[in-house]
Formats: sequence, C-alpha cells, structure tokens
Amino acid sequence: MRNAERLCLAHFWVAFAAFLFAAMLGTWQMWVRSPLGAHIGTPGQYFMSVTAHGVSMAYVLTTFFIMGFGYFVAVTSLDRPLPGKPWAWAAFWLGLLGVVLAVVAILSGRASVLFTFYPPLTGSAWFYIGLVLVVVASWVWCVLMIVAMAGWKRDNPGRPVPLAMFGTVANALMWLWTTIGLAVELLFQVIPAALGLVQTVDVGLARTLFSWTLHGIVYFWLIPAYIAFYTMAPRAAGGRLYSDTMGRLTFILFLIYSLPVGLHHLLMDPQHGNATKFVQAVLTAFVSVPTLLTIFTITASFEIAGRLRGGRGVFGWIAALPWQRPMVLATGLAFVMLGLGGFGGIVNMGYGMNAMVHNTAWVTAHFHLIFGGSVGIMYFAIAYEIWPRLTGREHGSLAPLRLQLWMWFWGMLIMTLPWHWVGLQGQWRRVANFNYADPIIAGWGPWVLVSLGGGIILLLSALLFVRNLFILHRGPALVAARPLYALAVDPPQRVPAALNGFGLWNVLLLAIIVLVYGFPIAQFLIEPSPGAIVHRVQ
Amino acid sequence: MSQREPRSEPHVLDQPWRVWATIAVMGTVLTGILLGALIIPIVQGRGAGLDAFTAICRALGLIPGSPAQPQPTDRTPPTPVSQVVWTPDVLQILARADVERGRAKVQEVCVACHGESGVSSSPDYPHLAGQSGAAIYKQLFDYRTGSRTHPLMTGIAQALDEPVIADVAAYYAGQPQRNPNPVTLADAPAGIVQLVELGDPKRNIPPCAACHRRGAGGPIETPVLAEQQAEYIARQLRLYASGERRNDVYARMRTIASKLTPGEIDALAAYYRAGFR
Repeated sequence: MRNAERLCLAHFWVAFAAFLFAAMLGTWQMWVRSPLGAHIGTPGQYFMSVTAHGVSMAYVLTTFFIMGFGYFVAVTSLDRPLPGKPWAWAAFWLGLLGVVLAVVAILSGRASVLFTFYPPLTGSAWFYIGLVLVVVASWVWCVLMIVAMAGWKRDNPGRPVPLAMFGTVANALMWLWTTIGLAVELLFQVIPAALGLVQTVDVGLARTLFSWTLHGIVYFWLIPAYIAFYTMAPRAAGGRLYSDTMGRLTFILFLIYSLPVGLHHLLMDPQHGNATKFVQAVLTAFVSVPTLLTIFTITASFEIAGRLRGGRGVFGWIAALPWQRPMVLATGLAFVMLGLGGFGGIVNMGYGMNAMVHNTAWVTAHFHLIFGGSVGIMYFAIAYEIWPRLTGREHGSLAPLRLQLWMWFWGMLIMTLPWHWVGLQGQWRRVANFNYADPIIAGWGPWVLVSLGGGIILLLSALLFVRNLFILHRGPALVAARPLYALAVDPPQRVPAALNGFGLWNVLLLAIIVLVYGFPIAQFLIEPSPGAIVHRVQ
Repeated sequence: MSQREPRSEPHVLDQPWRVWATIAVMGTVLTGILLGALIIPIVQGRGAGLDAFTAICRALGLIPGSPAQPQPTDRTPPTPVSQVVWTPDVLQILARADVERGRAKVQEVCVACHGESGVSSSPDYPHLAGQSGAAIYKQLFDYRTGSRTHPLMTGIAQALDEPVIADVAAYYAGQPQRNPNPVTLADAPAGIVQLVELGDPKRNIPPCAACHRRGAGGPIETPVLAEQQAEYIARQLRLYASGERRNDVYARMRTIASKLTPGEIDALAAYYRAGFR
C-alpha cells in the first residue's frame, strides 16, 4: 500500500505543479489582454503562453490527476492491491517524459499552435510526440483500471462493483474510445506534416477527428468530479447516497453520449451536411440527462444528510448541512457553477445561438467556468479529502481550505461572468491583444479589468491550494481515517449485468459511432478534399 | 448474507435491461437520423422548391447547398480572376528559386525600369526592393496569363517561363529596402493613420495594415506596402476602383478601393511612400 500511495502522490504533484504554472500564465494572459497591459509582450509570447496554459491545464493537470485518482480508487474501493504496479510506474515516467518534451517545444517558441492544434498550423514534431506519450501513458492506466475491476469481479461473482470503481472504469473505457480520434489525427496527419513528410493537410478531416475526441475529453475531466459527488460528498455530509442505480446510469450515459456528439463543435464548419450535424445535436441534448440525474440524486442525498442532522422544513435541511467540511462546501459551490455553466452550454448547443457566439470570448468564458470552476473545485476537494490517507497526516485547520475554495468560487465568477458579457458584445477569441483606442473596444475595457481582478483572486487561490497540500506533509499524524465512500440508502445486493459491467454499452456505443460518425468520416476518403498547405510555426 | 437470500435467475434480471437499453439507445439515434436525414430535409426542401431526393442529398452534404434554400439560378461557371494557385508544387518552385539566375535575368530585362536593386527610375513603376517574393511571382504570372495587362509588362512576362519568374521574384525579394523616411509618416493626417490601422467599420473597410504590413499574415500574395511610389499606388487604387484592374482574388481590392474617396486614395498613396520596420 505504501508504494500505491507514493504512486498516487507522484501523479498528483505533477498535476498540481502543472496547475500552478498554468495559473500564473493564465493571470499574465488576462493582464496583457486588459487595458493595463495592452503594450506588454508580443503576440508571439502571448500565443506561446496560451499554448503552455492550455496544454498544462487540459492535458497535464487532468491526465495526471485522473490517473492518480484512479489508482487511489482502485486500491481503496476494491480493497485490494493494484495489479501491474510496475506498469503504472512505467506509464508515469513515460507520461512525464512526454510532458517535458512538449513543454520544451512550447517554451522554445516552436509549438505556439494552442492545445487544440489548428492544422494546417504546425509546430515542432516534439510537441506532438510528447503529447502522444502522455496519451499512451493514460492508455496504460485505462488497461490497469479495467484489469483491476475484472480481477475483483472474478473473485466476487455476483456482487456489485463499488460505485467509485464503476465510474472510474467507465471513464477509462470512454477515454480509450475517445482518444482514437486525437491519436489518428496526430499520428497520420499532424506529425507527418510536422516532420515535413507531407506538404498538405485535409483540415476538414483533421477537425472531424479532433471533434471525435473533443467532447469525450471534457467528460474525462468531469467524471472524477461526478465520482466525488456520488461517493464522497454524501458521506462527507454525514448521510447516504440516495440511489446507487442513478450513479451507475449516470456513468453509463456519460460513456455512450460522450463521443457521438462531437460534431456540435463543428456546427459552423462547412465540411459536414446539415443532417449529420442535426443527428449529433439531438444526441447532444441527451448529455444533459446524466447531469440532471446527478443534481437530483446528490441534492436528495444532501437532504437525507441535512434531515439526519436535525434540519426541518422545506429548506431547513440546507442550513443543517456541515458546510464547514471542504467536500460539502465544494459540492455546493460546484453545483452553482455547474448551473450557470450548463446554461451557457445550452446556448452553445443551439445552432442559431452558437452561430452568434461561436468565435467570441463567450466560449472561452464558458469552458473556464464549467471546467476551471465546477471540475477544478472538485479536484481540490478530492485532494483535500484523500491527501490525509496518502500522507498519514491530518489538516491542522480546515479554515485555509475553505478560504481557498471560496476564493476559487468568487474568483471564477468574477473572471468569467464579465468575460461572457464581452463575448456577447463581440469580443473575439484567440487574439493576442486589443486596441483599446478603438471606441468600440474601449467599452470592453472596464469588463476586462474586472475579469483580471477575478484572475488575480484565482492565482492567489491556486497558491493557497498548493500551500495547503504542502504543509499537510508536516501536519499532525492521522489518528483514525473516517470512511471515505458513502453507502447507498438501499445498498445493492445484486444488480443487473448491464449495470455491473460495460459489455453491452461498448457494443451499443460502437453501433452509435458507426451510425453517426461513419459517413462524416468516410466522405473524406470517398472524395478527398483539396489539402491545405502546411503552415509551420517558426 | 446475500448467499442466503434467494437469488433471482440471472436472465430474469439481466435480459430486460439488455433489450430495453438497446431499444432506448438505438431508438434515440434512429429517430434523430429519421428526422435529420429524411423528414426535415423533405419538409424544408418542399418550401424551397426542391424535390425530396435533392433535399436529402443536400442535407447529407452529398451535393452542395442547403435543403432550406432555393436552387441558385446562375449556373454559369465562375471565371477565376487569377490562374495562380498556391499548391505545394508552386511553393516548391518559389523555395527552389535561384537568386543568381534571377540577378542575371534582372540585369538583362528588368533593370531599365525597376533598377538593379529594385529601386525604380520613374514614379510610374513600382519599387520592388524587399517586396514579398510571392507577390512578385503572382503579378508576373498574372501578366503572363493575361489576368493583368500592361503595355510593357504583358509582353515581358510572356517571354519568361515559370522557374525564371520565381528566380526574379527571389532576387528582388532579397534586395534591402531603403532607410525609413519618418518625415512623410509624421505628415500623415490622423484620419489616414486610422484608416491604415483600424479601417473604417462604418464603410466596411478593413485596415490596410491587416494585410499589407510585413508579416501581417494576410493572403500569401499580398504585397508589402512600404517605401512605394505614391503615383503607382494611387493609380492602382483607381484602376481597382474602376474595375479596370481585376486580378485581385475575391475582388478584395476592388471592393475596398471603390469605397475610398479620391482624397483618401492620394493620402494613402502618400502615406505608403514612407518606410516601416
């Protein structure tokens, strides 16, 4: 077990080091885009910074955090050693090597293509090779998670897999499916272009393949937060999970509706017909179902906890909840941000409204609120919850933890709400600076300054977060670890095979993919479009 | 504990899930496909005067156009304003250009008007020193194919083959520009500087600097404007405005030039006499 703890901590520290680095870059970017820093830095530096920020936050923080959390869940929820631990360490070092390659390529200024690549823009091949290594490392993790669950099921026939592990394996499977698009794009299109082996890239195909990954990757980031909602938050609140079945259904729905919805990122792209966009837009509407199930179930679980703690009346149970506990507080704050961000997501989902906001700062603000806000705050809460078990030490005081969570919450709202607003006024995204001498742009200035204020609060919160974890390593020894995972109100004795494994869902997912992605991809092979000339970033 | 309870037969518990999950999931997808690929295009196509088959093909992207819009009535094939296509082959020709061969050809042909180092001898002819190689290539190629005409240049360009055009372009592109002339910049009226830097959104005029500044990232064939002959620029803008010159792709410059006042044309031409670094 000691070794498993070291494994988890190694992953988490890589993740949080990348997070702190990226938080600093993010604040700098907010500053140079504001009227205060309008003459600081060159566009080249700005796009280098944006690339480093995006790669660190979206690939390094997430992948390493999710891998570390998965190993932790496998060991603690199944209560048995992790299979293939040497493989896990090998994957860790491989992933770290990939991060170093990618970061060196970015900082040399030869990979300023943003984390979503944008071919025919092409950077140094080392950048892409580094990211491929990170993905390969995560594939090793996926296999280990599947093996761990299969081994447990073999030894416990007929018993339901613990919900936390069920969600983790759903995420691993989803990630295996969804990284196919990214891997094919990088290996067969972008890396050959970066190496100079080909002179043109079929941009329509590249964007379609990236869309294959683009929504799934968001759920890859999101599912750990949902695992915490279902398994940790009800226990931290002092109650029980309202329904174990709802949790299983949620993770299954995330698996099957993560991937065949990616074309909603391409609603403005010309290379697909209306019909294919429509079908995936219909499926996109279904992604709200697991989130609504979760909000219902977790709210019900919290109500149970609140009433057990003596809460009365329609809303009295809310006040009775132990909000001083970081996991409970973070869940509440995450729900508020999820509500606002979810509303923004519904706007993006509609074809007509998407057309208005598509290339504006609205979209950037949206994914900062939903990922940086809801998901980020749950990553903090998970770290606070499991760090004592990993280190054998206890938080000296919970006050700095709560302060950090509140600062993240307010910082995120102060940063992203004005950002949405200037997006609605037409502030475009992916640009390095604004000419505030222009009378139209001058009106955005005050809002951008408020956003910058939010960014500074977020940076302070990020520093406080790392400090909170850092000093825990020297905190008082942990006397007794309280149970981590919530029991269900009605603990399952036997669940249908469909809710205890993924065979059926993998088959259904394959069928959906063939139906909704088969033709959109095949059209590029049947009638290849003229390639775009590769544009190399110097 | 669970062993002592009577277990349900696995198929009793499992089979309905398998069946109903499959029906629900596949039913959703197939309903979406039925609506998106059949019903909606047929209904939309009927409103747009399209037959069902055409509407469905359009919805699937098999033939161009939207199922909700009427057929375009103009079926004449488009006439490209320029024969230059920036394929990898053309870029290879430009990349492999031989500057020394270019110098020899310049001394033989171009030197009389454009000067050996690209500084022209007459206000009628543009300076070529430090001009983008792709821009020179595009104009020479357009003269050769007749997309742009000039009493002298048409004949000269027709006598050059494609690799030589690239050589000449590379030679002039490598010539240093002269020193900046800050005096003319300081003289520029504020309205003209604004037009260069910000354009005029009210008249839908984009900023000149968005494409014509070195490294601006506009279309590859855009010429760099700096230290240019004012008379030459003014005349080209007037030719674009009248439509006599028409080798600008997507009519970008014809559109912009037709919105400029005569005073603005002269002032912009004067502005671009200055050098920029």
